Amino acid sequence: MHSFEYSAPHSLSDAVSLLAQAEGNARPLAGGTDLIDQMQTGRFRPALVIDIKKLPELNVLEFDGDGLHLGAAVPCYRIYGEPRIVQEYSALADACHIIGGVQIQSRASVGGNLCNSGPAADSTPAMIALSAICVIAGPGETRQVPVEEFCTAPGENVLRRGEILAEILFPPRPANSGSHYRRFIPRNEMDIAVVGVGAFVELEDDGQTIKTARIGLGAVAPTPLLAEDLSASLSGKPATDSTFVSAGEAARQIITPITDMRGTAEYRKQITGVLVQRVLATATARARGEPSEYKPGK
Amino acid sequence: MAEVFWPPQGSASLLGGEHNRIDGLAKCIGSAKYAYDVVPDNMLVASALSCPHAHATIRAIDLNAARNMAGVVAVEPLKKEGDEIRWEGDLVAVVAGETEAAVAEGLAAIKIEYEVLDHFVDDTDLDAATEANVTRPAGRNTQLQNRDEDADQEFERLFNEAAVTFEGHYGINVITHMCLETHGSTCESQGDKLVSHLSTQNVSGTPGQIAGPIGLTAQDVTVHCDYIGGGFGSKFAADAWGVTCAQLARNTGRPVKYMLTRSQELKNAGNRPSGFLRAKIAADKDGFVTAWDSAHWGTNGTSGAPVSQGVIPYVFNPPNRRRVATGIRTNTSPARAWRAPNHPQGCAITQTAYDDVARHLGLDSYDVFLRNLSTVGERAPIYEDQMKLAAKLMDWKAKWHPHGKGGQDGSVVSGLGMAIHTWGGGPHASRATCKIHPDGGVEIFLGSQDLGTGTRTVIGLVVAETLGLELEQVSVQIGLSEYPSSGPSGGSTTVGGVSESTRRAATAALNLLLTKVAPRLEADANQLEAVGGKIQIQGNQNRNISWKEACGQIGISPIEAQGEYAPRVTYPRNYDGKRLTDNGVAGVQMAEVAVDTETGVVKMKKFVAVQDIGLIINRKTARSQIYGAAIMGIAYALFEERIMDKATGAFVNAELADYKLPRLGDTGEIVVELYEPESEYNRGVIGLGEPPVISPGAAISNAVCNALGKRVSVLPITPQRVLEAISGGA
Repeated sequence: MHSFEYSAPHSLSDAVSLLAQAEGNARPLAGGTDLIDQMQTGRFRPALVIDIKKLPELNVLEFDGDGLHLGAAVPCYRIYGEPRIVQEYSALADACHIIGGVQIQSRASVGGNLCNSGPAADSTPAMIALSAICVIAGPGETRQVPVEEFCTAPGENVLRRGEILAEILFPPRPANSGSHYRRFIPRNEMDIAVVGVGAFVELEDDGQTIKTARIGLGAVAPTPLLAEDLSASLSGKPATDSTFVSAGEAARQIITPITDMRGTAEYRKQITGVLVQRVLATATARARGEPSEYKPGK
Repeated sequence: MAEVFWPPQGSASLLGGEHNRIDGLAKCIGSAKYAYDVVPDNMLVASALSCPHAHATIRAIDLNAARNMAGVVAVEPLKKEGDEIRWEGDLVAVVAGETEAAVAEGLAAIKIEYEVLDHFVDDTDLDAATEANVTRPAGRNTQLQNRDEDADQEFERLFNEAAVTFEGHYGINVITHMCLETHGSTCESQGDKLVSHLSTQNVSGTPGQIAGPIGLTAQDVTVHCDYIGGGFGSKFAADAWGVTCAQLARNTGRPVKYMLTRSQELKNAGNRPSGFLRAKIAADKDGFVTAWDSAHWGTNGTSGAPVSQGVIPYVFNPPNRRRVATGIRTNTSPARAWRAPNHPQGCAITQTAYDDVARHLGLDSYDVFLRNLSTVGERAPIYEDQMKLAAKLMDWKAKWHPHGKGGQDGSVVSGLGMAIHTWGGGPHASRATCKIHPDGGVEIFLGSQDLGTGTRTVIGLVVAETLGLELEQVSVQIGLSEYPSSGPSGGSTTVGGVSESTRRAATAALNLLLTKVAPRLEADANQLEAVGGKIQIQGNQNRNISWKEACGQIGISPIEAQGEYAPRVTYPRNYDGKRLTDNGVAGVQMAEVAVDTETGVVKMKKFVAVQDIGLIINRKTARSQIYGAAIMGIAYALFEERIMDKATGAFVNAELADYKLPRLGDTGEIVVELYEPESEYNRGVIGLGEPPVISPGAAISNAVCNALGKRVSVLPITPQRVLEAISGGA
């Protein structure tokens, strides 16, 4: 790894100033699980590394009338360790449970996962499904961007020079709703998603009809996707296996996966269909309060 | 006097028991020092620059900027202008510096101008390789029952008369050794002496390899390796990096650590050749293979050698057989011996074909394997015995269904498969020195190494058994080239070699002790034995003295005795007397899998391994060896492969994140049965490292085929290959 300067400011405003002054030659460090590896391989050679993982503003984990405020540097283990997140934002907890192993989960943050902006990031489709909003601090006004609009290309996002992702806001969970994230990997754990699917399902009071749904897709396009039309088309449909199978078939048509060493485009389309079907079924079961049969790696 | 040969089965105190490793605690708490853990004061770190091209010549190389970089102490070129690079990732120059950061900056400052040349990396397609003119004939061989007949006509007749005839395509991709500890060393130079803490499978053999190139003689170089984090056949040589590290230490007068990065490890430090095969096979109605006609190919890197003809088909020897071998030269690094060279590939690409005989005839695979045992030679009864045992452990009969005809649980189908294997495992040359001290202390010295298999514990057990002591009373000294030389650990030769030399050394030392003790017990030395921490009159527990008291008779100098095993000398040709070690084993393995037909994921449900290894010294580490082999086999059957990009010639998955290895949750239940009837025990010790890693590929492929009713032709059986086989495969 190359030589670099390291700074650990005490406030978000100091971090923003440092970042702005560095004129693009600095990287923020939260858990560092991506950044350190990228510096070791020479992909990034920042002159300055700004450690933001202890900033209080980036470590909030609070519920209020707006929903869940999740600081961008909160590590995965705190997220899946919070019972209300497991209960109300299950897809997020699912994703945090399967990012790396225990050691990685103790360091890695959802904010970092998003800012790394990889197409296969596990938490992003989950956050898309949960309608999460990015709260971005910078030299100017704080601004908000929906998660599905955050990533712009592999490794790129909407952050401007000097801006830091401070918080992710998750709206309150509606009644009769459930969510789930699942990815496909060739082995049972610790791997990069070939395809990742997050889904949110809200049922009518009858528990049989889909009121709203949101599907986030990972690793099937240059950025994680919101399957907007597909999601909308599920409203009013019966929450049955045949609906889920059709949704899976439709999902295959809207993605533009690449062929790489993890799988061909054709293969990713097949897996996307299967996962959409299975994830919708699990999210629906959770919306009904039924026990979920899902276990990572099974 | 003590008898050198092993005690009869059932009468040993320690041999064959369940013993923890004597170095287990050190490994668990991290006090065991590997090459990477050796950090002398004032040490420099070194790292290499890799070539990004698969094929190129070096037009110009400029190391000056690197040499002038702050913190860089030395730069050593590995290539010069005009040199040809023949694979992506080949190492070009090494930088040594005060810190890893300084070295990284130094490497970035090296300027190299390449002339990029055409490359070829696709070993899967024989026609494409032929067109690219990168093939070479690697032998052809025909064996006919009717020797005088024309081969073409005879094969045509055999295929016409057969109950079933089919053509199959089988393959197994290149994998790397993936040693957890990468190759490399830490070297310390002291005047004209050099100590290399080298990660090696060959402690006794590497000093000379290091000494010559750096202007020393072997006597001036000491190789030290107490622990090694995996070798699997790739760490026999000091290698260019081991020599360069020594050279840098000599040149700078400072200790130097130079270990390969993970990517460099995978691209340079060892891989197993691929094997692909097209075969036409004929069988009678009971599944007996009457004719085998195959062409196989593969690559071992730049020299282009395929899997040996000797393993086509594997173990089975059909009465009529024709095989043609072709090598493909690729711009990939040279292969190295990988656990049981040739055998895993031979097994994977031919015992799958034998399983396809069962599939095409609708027969039970077990019966087809049994039916063909008449062609395997003298071990046929052992295979039959082992198959019965394995089938019982797998509950084969209850679980069996014809290929593709099992029940379905949602999208999941299950299947069974089996394979059989063979290996030598005879001992390598080995010398040992056993010391018995006047205070009762016992030491054994060998220039051997423990690859993680439990060699250190085995040596201790043999000494303790011989001297009638507990394992804890023996100090085992290995891993230093100054000790009596022992062979490299490869080919399952170590346990035989070290137990033979150790037993002989310890017996000789004991007999010297018995001679000294005999007057004290008023007996002839021939009447004495060492049992339970005592020296006693044979069979008379009342006339004895304690071990410590006995050793008090030694005098002031310790007893020191040597033992040796020399191949073909210790047991001359045609020797048929008692022996301590032998050569040649069988082995049967069975796999049960579940396959998700929607995602293509294969899950291991159960894996059964039945293995003979002659006399078992430590049942616990023997079983562990087989667990490890099964997991390694599951890895190459389902997960790991080297992926080459045809366009760039790059090895694209040369990192742990991308080179897929199974996690423990992927391996399912593994059941190990050690097969040790008296007839096998009496053969003496035989090596175990290779045999159990041979069959998993074929056994698992056959299980997947039984589940699906379709063959996934090429290993590893990735989910994508499963789906492709379901949608269109044969």
